[in-house]
Amino acid sequence: MAACTRRLDKVMFSIRLLRNIQQKNERFLSTSMRRLDEGSDGGKPTKFTPPPKPVIIDKTQSEASLRKFLSPEFIPPRQRINPLKFAIERKDMIQRRKVLNIPEFYVGSVLAVTMADPHASGKTNRFMGICIQRGGHGLGATFVLRNIIDGQGVEICYEMYSPRLQQLEVLKLEKRLDNNLMYLRDALPEYSTVNLDMKPVPHSVTGDVPVNKTRVRMRPKPWSKRWERPKYNVQGIRFDLCLSPEKLEHAQKWAEPWREYDMLKEYDTTALEERFLKEVQTEMSKSTCP
Amino acid sequence: MRVNIQMLISHGRVARKMGLGPESRINMLRNILTGLVRHERIETTRGRADEVQFYAEKLIDYAKKGDTDEKAMKMANFWLTEKDLIPKLFKVLAPRFETQPKAYTRMARIPNRENLDRAAMAVLEYKGNPFPPLQTAKRDNELTLLNQLLKGYREQRAQQAAAKRQDVL
Repeated sequence: MAACTRRLDKVMFSIRLLRNIQQKNERFLSTSMRRLDEGSDGGKPTKFTPPPKPVIIDKTQSEASLRKFLSPEFIPPRQRINPLKFAIERKDMIQRRKVLNIPEFYVGSVLAVTMADPHASGKTNRFMGICIQRGGHGLGATFVLRNIIDGQGVEICYEMYSPRLQQLEVLKLEKRLDNNLMYLRDALPEYSTVNLDMKPVPHSVTGDVPVNKTRVRMRPKPWSKRWERPKYNVQGIRFDLCLSPEKLEHAQKWAEPWREYDMLKEYDTTALEERFLKEVQTEMSKSTCP
Repeated sequence: MRVNIQMLISHGRVARKMGLGPESRINMLRNILTGLVRHERIETTRGRADEVQFYAEKLIDYAKKGDTDEKAMKMANFWLTEKDLIPKLFKVLAPRFETQPKAYTRMARIPNRENLDRAAMAVLEYKGNPFPPLQTAKRDNELTLLNQLLKGYREQRAQQAAAKRQDVL
């Protein structure tokens, strides 16, 4: 009896082996057949390849007349970090820019941002406002949009290279007298409101960016920061309407007139800017998505 | 005043604290730099010499732009408190260093000051000054065996590289 069972076991084992081999061969055969079918069909691939995006080439302007703009986050700060880190980061930034179009904008332009939001109906939310600050370097570059909605001032800080951002539209391209418009928090609300149904204002690709020379009226003091002090170097506030000349003179006590002569604080970025601008332009003009 | 962590940590700060504050520091550096331009070799404490070295070289860079340049003239006017040295800077020092791209100054350390403070001293000079040469830190003696072997190796490598370049051409 035992001998019978042993032989039976061996037979079963060999049958199972054979079946395994057969199944494996069948599987191999079946996949190869499918691949052969693909090749023979030609027009029906199983994997979905998205259609190529249209490449818009604007041949009306010559390349020399186009405005040259390098986004400030490409310029690395003065640090002892190995430049390889910035080179790698630039590569990643350019790759992201090939997918999402990050337009040229300055502090003071009006932007509308659509971001992916899992909790919103339609999965996206849209916010528009004046850009009051551009900060950060490299992939962590941010910009802050400010608007007043239902009487409440709202500021949202967006990361330019965040994968949640889906669309960046520049509704109005302009510069202001300052690089940093944080004083709008203490200004009258009319200067920070942007109409939510604003239509995009067409701007030219050549020539200089229009500078909006409005000087803002402020709410009564106290302000969040002492904007009259020369350290902030604010040009865009009407100090004559809110501060007396004595107070302005008193604020000049904090002026550091030696700062402009201090050679240690100088950081000349013209050579770096040219190099990076050329690099970014060549990389972006290469083929975008496959 | 809001004291934040950035004020207490000094990572990456290149400017030393000197004197009574930032204005005092700049004034002190101005005085030392004026003395250096006048005498071309001065003796100060090591920290001050180190700080002034940077500003001295940057001043020469500005002087090289020429005295017609507005920014260069403003800088020279600010940094040189004795105004008879401004023509000396543009007409004597700038042409002297025309061929050199950088490294216009030399700093040599000196035994400590004789006073009670025993301060670490240094001598800072513009190269090409008329005084007898300073004794700076000596490089390793070239006549030792190891240095001779390394020199031969370097020459060999240079020859091979030149030969390769010839082949490529």
